[in-house]
Order: sequence, then C-alpha cells, then structure tokens
Amino acid sequence: MAKILAVDDSASMRGMVAFTLRGAGHDVSEAENGQLAVDAAKGARFDLVLADVNMPVMDGLSMVRELRTMPEYKGVPILMLTTESHTDKKMEGKAAGATGWLVKPFDPEQLLATVKRVLG
Amino acid sequence: MGKAKTDKADGRVALPADCRIADLATVKAALEAALSAPAAVLDGGMVERVDTAALQLLAVFRREAAARGVAVEWRGASDVLRDGAARLGLTQTLELPAATPA
Amino acid sequence: MSTVSLAQFHQTFFDESHEGLDAMETALLALDGGGDKELVHGIFRAAHSIKGGAATFGFPDMAAFTHEAESLLDELRDGRRAVDAGIVELLLRSVDCLRGMFARAQAGQPLADAASEALRHELAAVVGRSLAPAAAPARRSDDASTGWAISFRPHQGMLAGGNDALRLLRELGELGELKAEAELDRLPGLGALDPSECHLGWRLELRGDVSRAAVKGVFDWVEDECDLTLEPLPGAEVHHAPAAAAPAAAAAPIAAKAAAREAVAAESSVRVGIDKIDSLINLVGELVITQSMLDTFREDFDASRLEMLQQGLAQLARHTRTLQESVMGIRMLPIASVFNRFPRMVRDLGQKLGKQVRLDLVGEQTELDKTVLEKIGDPLVHLVRNAIDHGLETPDRRRAAGKGDIGTLRLEASHRNGSIVVEISDDGAGLNREAIVAKALQRGLIASGEGMTDEAVADLIFQPGFSTAAVTTDLSGRGVGMDVVRRNVVDLGGSIQIRSVAGQGSVFTITLPLTLAIIDGLTAMVGGEHYIVPLASIVETVQLRGEQLRTVTGGGELFHFRDSWLPVLRLQDAFACGGTRRAIEQGLVVVVEGDGARVGLFVDELVGQQQAVVKSLEANYRRVIGISGATILADGSVALIVDVAGLSRQMTRRRAA
Repeated sequence: MAKILAVDDSASMRGMVAFTLRGAGHDVSEAENGQLAVDAAKGARFDLVLADVNMPVMDGLSMVRELRTMPEYKGVPILMLTTESHTDKKMEGKAAGATGWLVKPFDPEQLLATVKRVLG
Repeated sequence: MGKAKTDKADGRVALPADCRIADLATVKAALEAALSAPAAVLDGGMVERVDTAALQLLAVFRREAAARGVAVEWRGASDVLRDGAARLGLTQTLELPAATPA
Repeated sequence: MSTVSLAQFHQTFFDESHEGLDAMETALLALDGGGDKELVHGIFRAAHSIKGGAATFGFPDMAAFTHEAESLLDELRDGRRAVDAGIVELLLRSVDCLRGMFARAQAGQPLADAASEALRHELAAVVGRSLAPAAAPARRSDDASTGWAISFRPHQGMLAGGNDALRLLRELGELGELKAEAELDRLPGLGALDPSECHLGWRLELRGDVSRAAVKGVFDWVEDECDLTLEPLPGAEVHHAPAAAAPAAAAAPIAAKAAAREAVAAESSVRVGIDKIDSLINLVGELVITQSMLDTFREDFDASRLEMLQQGLAQLARHTRTLQESVMGIRMLPIASVFNRFPRMVRDLGQKLGKQVRLDLVGEQTELDKTVLEKIGDPLVHLVRNAIDHGLETPDRRRAAGKGDIGTLRLEASHRNGSIVVEISDDGAGLNREAIVAKALQRGLIASGEGMTDEAVADLIFQPGFSTAAVTTDLSGRGVGMDVVRRNVVDLGGSIQIRSVAGQGSVFTITLPLTLAIIDGLTAMVGGEHYIVPLASIVETVQLRGEQLRTVTGGGELFHFRDSWLPVLRLQDAFACGGTRRAIEQGLVVVVEGDGARVGLFVDELVGQQQAVVKSLEANYRRVIGISGATILADGSVALIVDVAGLSRQMTRRRAA
C-alpha cells in the first residue's frame, strides 16, 4: 500500500484514478489543482504523485517544479497524466522534473500497471 | 522511522528503515563521522527500502574508507539491501556478507 | 472490472463537461471583443478536459471531435493564430455540437452524426490538416535477438527526478536474464558527493528473446536523462520477427467501447459546495447536543427545571429551522446557469433579425431550487425570443422613434419577500393595444374591447393561440404561445405579470417560490378533513351572506368581489368529502388566484397557517386533479394540498362545456 496523491481539476478523472487506486489498496488523497497539491504535499509525504497538466490556478508543470524544490520530494515519482502523445509535450513535463507520464486515455488496468511499475 | 545513527566510539552506523534519496543527508553525515573512528561498523539489518542513491552513497563510503585505511564491517544486512546491491552490481564493492549474520 | 467501474463516473463527467461547455461559451462570447490570453487559456483547458474525459470514459467520437477543436485552440493559445470572428463562430458551433454529443451520450445513442463529422473536418481544415481515414502507422519490424549488451549511463539528475536506476534494472530483469556490472569510474569522494546525484553507470547483459522495443520501453521515460546504447550480444543471432511484446494500449479501445455500451443512467445530481456540507454537519452536531440535553429531562424532571426545558425546546426549534433552511440550500443553485445561455442566443437572434441588442444580466448569483431552475429555462427562452422578435425594433424604427440604435434587453433575478422574482424587460415598442384588441376580436376571445383596462388587454396575450407579429417569423416557435409560458410558470407554483407602455417597452415579471419542497399554506377543514391552500395563491378570505350569492343557470354560484363576479367552488363537492355546512354563512370563502383566474373556495373553517413539506401524490399514489400533493401534519394525519391552478382550469373547462 502506498500513499498516492491524485491531482486533476476534472472530478471524473480524479474520481476514476482515486477509485481505481483505492481498489488496489492504496491510500489516495485528491487535489483539484497544482496549488492544492503542493499544500497537501507539505503536510504529508506521498510515495507517488499523479497529476494532470492543464489545470487552473496552478498547472501540473508548475506543480512539479514546486514539489522538486522540496527536499522530501527528491526522487519521489511524479507522473503527468497527459493527452499529448507528442514528444515535445512529454519532454516539457520531464524538463520540469516529472518522472514520467501516462497518456490519456488510460483504463484502470493501465493505470495500475504503471503505478506498479513506478512503485516496484 | 529510525534515523541513521553513529556512535563515535566504535564508528557504528545504523542505516534507517527507509534508506532512500530524500533521507540521505543524515546518512551521509553519519558515514562521514564513522570515518574518524579506527573501524566502522555498518548495520543494514533494518533497511526495508533502498534505492540507487543510497547504494551509491555506501559504495562511495567503502571506497573512501579503503583509501583512508579504515576497516569496515557489516553488522547486518537486510534482504532488501542485499538484493538491491546485487541488481546494481555493487555486492562486491560493498563487500556485503552473503547472508545475514546471526 | 474496468468497464463496470468506469460507468459510475459518467454522470460526473457529463456534469462537469456541461459546466465546461458553458464556461467555454461565455469565454468565447467575451473573446468577441478581442483576444484575452487568460480567456483563451480557460477555453483550451475546458476543451482539453473534455477530450481527456471522453477518451478515458469510452466516448472516442467525442474525443476525436474535441481533439480538432483543441488543436485550433492550441494555435490561438500559442499566438500562432489570431482570434477573429470566424474562429469564434466556428468554436461556438463546436460547443453546440458537443452539447448534442453529450445529449446523445446520455441517451445511449451513437455520438457522431453527419453534422458533427462535417464540423470535425471543418476544424481540421482550419488547422491545416486533412483527415484522411487514419492509415495504420507503418510499423518497423522490430529486430529481436537472443540478447543485448547495454551501456547505461544516467545523467546526474535522473535519480532526483524519480527514476531510480534500481527500478529500471529490476524491470529489465523481468524481460530476461540480467547481469549488471557497475561502472565506478566517475564516483567522487564522500565529501564531494551530493547523494541525490547519480555518478554510477552500468554495463548490462540481457539474455533472452527480447525485442529492441521492449528494452527501449523500459527506458522510455529516461531517454533524455541517460546515455544508452544497445548492441546485440556478440555471437547472438539476429533475426527479424514481429514485436514480441504487443503494446498494452492495443487492448484499451476495446475496453473503452464496452464501457460506452454500459447503460448510462441519466440520474440527476447536484454538486454541493463543501462549505454547505460542513455547515450541515455542524448543525447536526448541535442537534445531537440539544437532543441529549433534552434527554436528561426524561428521568429527572421537576417544576424547577421547567425554564431549562423551555429553553431546550426553543433551541431545538431553532436548530430544526436552520437545518431545514440549510438542507433546502443544497438544492439551491445560482440562476446563472440559465442566464448563461442568453448572451449567445441574443447575439444569434439579433443578427438574424437585423436588430442590435445589448443584454444586461443582473442578479445571476440569485439561487433557485434545482427543480425550479430546470423548468424555468424554457419559459425564459420564450420570453427573451419574444422580446427580441416582437418587442425590440430595428435600428431604423428606433431612430424614427427617437431612440438609440441599440435596444436593451434586461434580465434581472432577485429575492423579494421570500420569493424569487425574474424580470425580463426591454425598451422596445411595448404592447400595441389596438393590435391586441383587433386580434382578440378576430379570434373571438372577446366580444368588444370597449372599457377594457390596459391590464386586461395585456392579459389577452396569455390566451391560447395568440400572436400579433405581422409576419410570423420562424423564431416564435409555432404552437407554443404565451399561454404555455404562463402554464409552465403556474405549474411551478409561480405567477407572471406584464406591464407595458406603448413606445417605451415591456416588463414581464415572473414570481417563483424559493422551493417546491416546502410551501407556506393555510390549513382549512372541509368535512372533517384537512386541506392545505398554498398561501401564495390566496388573495383574501371573506365571509359571505346568502344574499351576496347569485345562482346562474347550470347551478353555478357567483359572488361579488372587488368589482367582478367570481365563481364559488365548494371543496366538499369538488373532492366529494361530504361537508355538512351547506349554507354560505356557515363557512368561509377563500379567494384564490391560479392560472390567471380567480375563484372562491368554500371551506368549513380555517385552522391556521403552517409550513408543509410537500410529498408527491403521484409518486406514492396517482395523479389526482385538483390536488398537487400531500403533507403530514403534526399529529401524524395526512392533509392534501389544493392545486389552485388545476382546480380553476377544471372549472373553466366545465363552464366552457
């Protein structure tokens, strides 16, 4: 069981991610945007962060940059949930400090497989 | 979660249960302190999680100790620690014991 | 498991997408004036979310459509393309098209149709892409070998970015037999080491029938964070074979399609702010405390504690009332969701009719019961269309009348005396008394216009089948007249009035109850049974003497009330409940107004005023003419709620027959 933070402004996407991961026994917290995610991350140490790219208030890229300035989030896997399969868009996330990505659409099995891959 | 500890007198360092990149600053400090003792003892029996950064730090420590002529002895190494070292091809460098001593 | 569990998020996805589309439309209309970067970002985000959700929840047609709109928005966002009226128009049409797709999704129908496909190609053409039927990507046949020699040298920052080399090597080890040899040549001394940086490298030998793609797949996230070389192992045979590891993604569309087939229950839901829920929880907490305080009186009570008991009961009453208001508040939503559709509509209609219209929206945050909100949309649309079609004049005519070219249409919502008031006003030509009277005469609605008050004339437009437009435009929706608007409003427990000044404009005022779930009513006794008459429909209660009654042919009774003769409706007859008081002096007459007509309801006696929680009779029993619902009284007995509009309609029908 891992502590996972799911960040997405879309309640349906967030719900799907959280539901799936909880079903697999993980302890999932949710945040609606990057700013709320950073706030949540300050209070708890997550093993994995899954975040949408396009969000109001603070987008996913700024969120990753912010998290990577926190010593306790050094090395913590952060995956971007992106609809972009273009390399340059993925690389933007990587450059900001993301670990990798999961391309939308994904179904619960793909999500679980990716999470398992990251958490080992 | 136990922090890395050094006992100055015998240069003993107990590695924490979560021995990974975000928590290595204290481990590094403990290892540096251990180098000032005549012999260092590493206790890795409690390690539950380990990553490349931690194993790299231990490798650097072993080489530094060898260069300074400080003897290093393992007082314990968890399966997680030994498995990680083996996968990264660092078992020999770290001079890990083949099995956990009783 | 995936297909079943995804369907439960469909409703949330629909709800948030509707909000997203509304926001897109609002922002697009605001863009009309010029390209505001923040607006474009907001529009892009909304489209992007819909695309992601559509793809995830199994609506590939919608995802494909939104993808094209998003590509266009991406160009606007990057500044590669300037915002112009044509683009805004195209995107507005896309919003409409998506709304259609959502409606079909909720109805379980195929999402794409000819119109949506045409629009998708139009969007693609604007972005400069032609949508050939997607050709299968030419797949390079992957060479597989019996093993690989891999040189893997991570860059210093790879570990801090969350890609642990140990994890990557573990993954590789799952593909075949892996031997790792660490390269220590770049390791610094302990003092110089930043433990979060990577200075190790590896020479790896992977033995097994593993494709190059499979090996590359392990490193896909770190391509730019390491130096990686792959060589077939010396002596290993190289042969060509189809990629061994089928991409996991191939299974996804099938699962997604299955999810789309899941029946989508169009259940209705309300999104509630967390603050509202928190305040409810607080209130319930207070209630529990009060209840346990009152509980102490059960075992230990004497007169000395009477005052405490009274205080406790008063507190209980206060909490219950607050709780009631809070619970009702959950059903309350801002009228903005209805108002939001008007900027677009007014703009389109104005263009179509060659009229210049400025729309003022006031009080958009005024909250209404969700049910009322859902049903008030159509009447408002009709009134707004009417105002533009019949009320506001063309610029020529306005100039001739000494007014500015641009007409003003104003929608204002507000709270007034425990009701919601929505006013639709325009500064157009106003009602034309002569035209209305002429039309009413022609239709046989009145015998003569002589002596009719302006109010009575204005009221004629609510009669069935009334229309005064010289040319029937295609906008006014044939068959749906102002009579239906009034019917809809009355069905919601509300009323509609019109004030008009020739040459200066008209004001339609709709008064609606705050909620349909609770009504204020007057409890009346008829034949030993309780009936509740909605307070909002009561004009006055009078006691009549026998000589004030006139009996007309057919057995109807009339009485004189404020300069007009009103029919008496004896509830004991209407509901066949056998009241014993036949003489008019023995009971009371409650003058009520419903559906534009006044009636005197004869009841035995009045018990008092009370709030009634409305229970549906239709849901629990069946629909009964003249009864809108039931409620439970304090003593546990049931009282029926009188449907004033229904009763008066029935009377009118009976009189007409």
